[in-house]
Amino acid sequence: MTRARTFRGGTHPPGNKGLSSGKPIRKIPAPDIVRIPLCQHLGAPSKSVVKKGDTVIRGQEIGAQNGFISLPTHSSVNGTVTGIEDYPMPHRRSGPVVVIETESEEGGQIFEKWDDFHDHSPAEIIERVKQAGISGMGGACFPTYVKLSPPPDKKIDTLLINGVECEPYLTADDRLMLERPDDIILGMEILAYTLGVQRCVIGIEVNKPNAIDVMKKKGVTVLPLKVKYPQGAEKQLIDAATGREVPAGGLPLDIGVVVQNVATAAAVAGAVRDGEPSIRRIITVTGKGVSSPCNYDACVGTLFTDLIEESGGYSGDVERLISGGPMMGIALYTDGVPVTKGTSGVLALSPQEVRDIAEGPCIRCGKCVDICPLKLVPSMIATAAENDRWEMAKEYGALNCMACGTCSYVCPAGRYLVHYIKKAQDAIRSGQGEGA
Amino acid sequence: MEHKRFELAMSPHVGTQQSTRKIMFDVVIALLPALAAATWFFGPGALLIVALSVATAVLAEYLCLKFMKRPVSFAFDGSAIVTGILLAYNVPPGVPWWLPVLGSAFAIVVGKQAFGGLGHNIVNPALLGRAFLMASFPILMTAGWTAPEEWRNGQDNPWETNGIVQEELLEMPNADAISGATPLNVLKQSFDLDKSAALADEEGNHAEAAELGARASGIRHALSQKSTYLNLLVGRRGGCIGETSVLLLLAGALFLIIRGVLEIRLPLSYLGTVALFAWVFGGSGWFNGDPLFHVLAGGVILGGFFMVSDMVTTPVTPKGRIIFGVGAGLLTMVIRRWGGYPEGCSYSILLMNLITPLIDRFTRPKIFGEVKEND
Repeated sequence: MTRARTFRGGTHPPGNKGLSSGKPIRKIPAPDIVRIPLCQHLGAPSKSVVKKGDTVIRGQEIGAQNGFISLPTHSSVNGTVTGIEDYPMPHRRSGPVVVIETESEEGGQIFEKWDDFHDHSPAEIIERVKQAGISGMGGACFPTYVKLSPPPDKKIDTLLINGVECEPYLTADDRLMLERPDDIILGMEILAYTLGVQRCVIGIEVNKPNAIDVMKKKGVTVLPLKVKYPQGAEKQLIDAATGREVPAGGLPLDIGVVVQNVATAAAVAGAVRDGEPSIRRIITVTGKGVSSPCNYDACVGTLFTDLIEESGGYSGDVERLISGGPMMGIALYTDGVPVTKGTSGVLALSPQEVRDIAEGPCIRCGKCVDICPLKLVPSMIATAAENDRWEMAKEYGALNCMACGTCSYVCPAGRYLVHYIKKAQDAIRSGQGEGA
Repeated sequence: MEHKRFELAMSPHVGTQQSTRKIMFDVVIALLPALAAATWFFGPGALLIVALSVATAVLAEYLCLKFMKRPVSFAFDGSAIVTGILLAYNVPPGVPWWLPVLGSAFAIVVGKQAFGGLGHNIVNPALLGRAFLMASFPILMTAGWTAPEEWRNGQDNPWETNGIVQEELLEMPNADAISGATPLNVLKQSFDLDKSAALADEEGNHAEAAELGARASGIRHALSQKSTYLNLLVGRRGGCIGETSVLLLLAGALFLIIRGVLEIRLPLSYLGTVALFAWVFGGSGWFNGDPLFHVLAGGVILGGFFMVSDMVTTPVTPKGRIIFGVGAGLLTMVIRRWGGYPEGCSYSILLMNLITPLIDRFTRPKIFGEVKEND
């Protein structure tokens, strides 16, 4: 086997994937009431096109695309719209949801099935990916069709499929690769065809040997990667795979690369082959705070409450409930939030799992500087931000931070580095740094 | 529907087991072996000095925090203990008991708490405390040398204070100024003799020049006879309380490296520079100095592994750390070779501490994917 590759910097949080990695994906039926958010993707929320009392079928568009960086939203069930209301969200405080009373989940074929995608032009496929509402399922939720439409002056030569799943605890992508490799591979082929690229590689961390085996047996070029956080971050994956650095402030397509998550690839395959819009996804429900961790195939609009109940409820004290992984996931104040296209995990952490340390002053140990995957100086940005010195924060690279959390993770003083850096980003972007 | 409520917090939600407190106590543990050597060679008096210094540091920190209405828990995070030990390690074993008490209190109150406490001090508090003592009590701080094992063997101990035969000592100019000296002290005297010889030569007094020159080399020869590498390694020589036992200090440093607490760039660049400089300029001519002697004989092992690598007062950038180490190494050797003191370790570190913010500013790492504007 070729030596696993990696990037410079990073850290090694305990994986804790064993809690759920052995649990096959369980498809769970839609709950009696689904709440489908109209803002599941990055960009403008879709505009509701249904009203209270309307009957909708599975796959029907209930929210229309509203701008270039935006996507349509679809119903995940057959049923009746009982209202459009503001509801708590996993990725923000709240947002509009379409509430649908579920009647059934059968049928609902909206898009035509395409047996052979080669019969269709890349433009047609891009349109389908857009109509199906597919956004990046690795976490960023960026509309996928936009990534497939690079400006004509950018020559794309490499498609990287991201099967790294470097967030501790999460196993959704791992299970997907094990159980539905054909979907991923078809999605990969469709994406490569659409982008017109020859070089197509799937990057997987070596802590998922079974997934690597499965993919290799299917004849896919696998790039084994060292287990290190944040190996799955787009720029770090590209660095490890190609040795190219995405320019600061630039995009992967500036250096001829497009990265798509394995779940996104599978969703593209579903949209093209089966005419399925993006209304379901794989979610890992885990942590020592749930009775039986598991991986689910659930429809968008299912509440976290339902998923926790499926997993046998909470076990013992739950210190923190998180949407996503422990490194970048968002803490929730309630489990009454709906699953979105971007929900990769629901994490209930016991008090023992959460870091318990009182924040102390920076002792300038320089650990954060050594491990920052983007080569920033987190301690200095944070100190600048604490003192409202936005210009200085900018100088030390605040705007480049992707909030991966590695610096906070290693900080012996327990400083909330990510928090300060985000604060600096907000201040700089809102122009507070000027004229100071 | 009834939903459970949870606490909110910023990501990441998990973190390392490491903490400031653990780091500080690791440093304390790493410093302890050298204390055993100090007690063995310099007697229980050395142990008492360290104990007094540590107690004063912790008490001073506690009182400062109490007075400033800040959380007193900081007094027990281990950082005051480190400062207390380091201050005691940097004074001669024969000083009166109140000297380390005064130095330690100054280190904490002026060197640390006046700047805002842990993490905010600009210079190493222990070294500032030592500089304060040097400036205020120069005689006590340079005359308190004790010969190794003197406390057990009495006056007729086999080891002269400085490792020099007594007759040579008596013939030295300013002999009383170095009564009881460290190897570096003696080396300094030999260089002073060289200078006098050169001066005599210029005045045409060739016979005196030859005699002085011969004495200088005689002293250097005697020094190499007595201060053997083995003696220097185990710490059987005159010197500050904690600086003499190179082997045990290295053992402590190794422990810190294993614990992931020691940043290796700083000590390596520092000691490397000292050794290189010693080889080029450290002898009577060029390129005939003894790098190993210079590394082992003074305080640079203690300084390099426990003070040059102090986290708070040194740069955080990788490049900055190398610049700091090289700069401190150069200053140490310039002071040793041409300055007024036989040892330049502590002042070199203090001077470099002062420009640490500047070094950090000019050595910001290149951001991932950063392109220069004119590229």
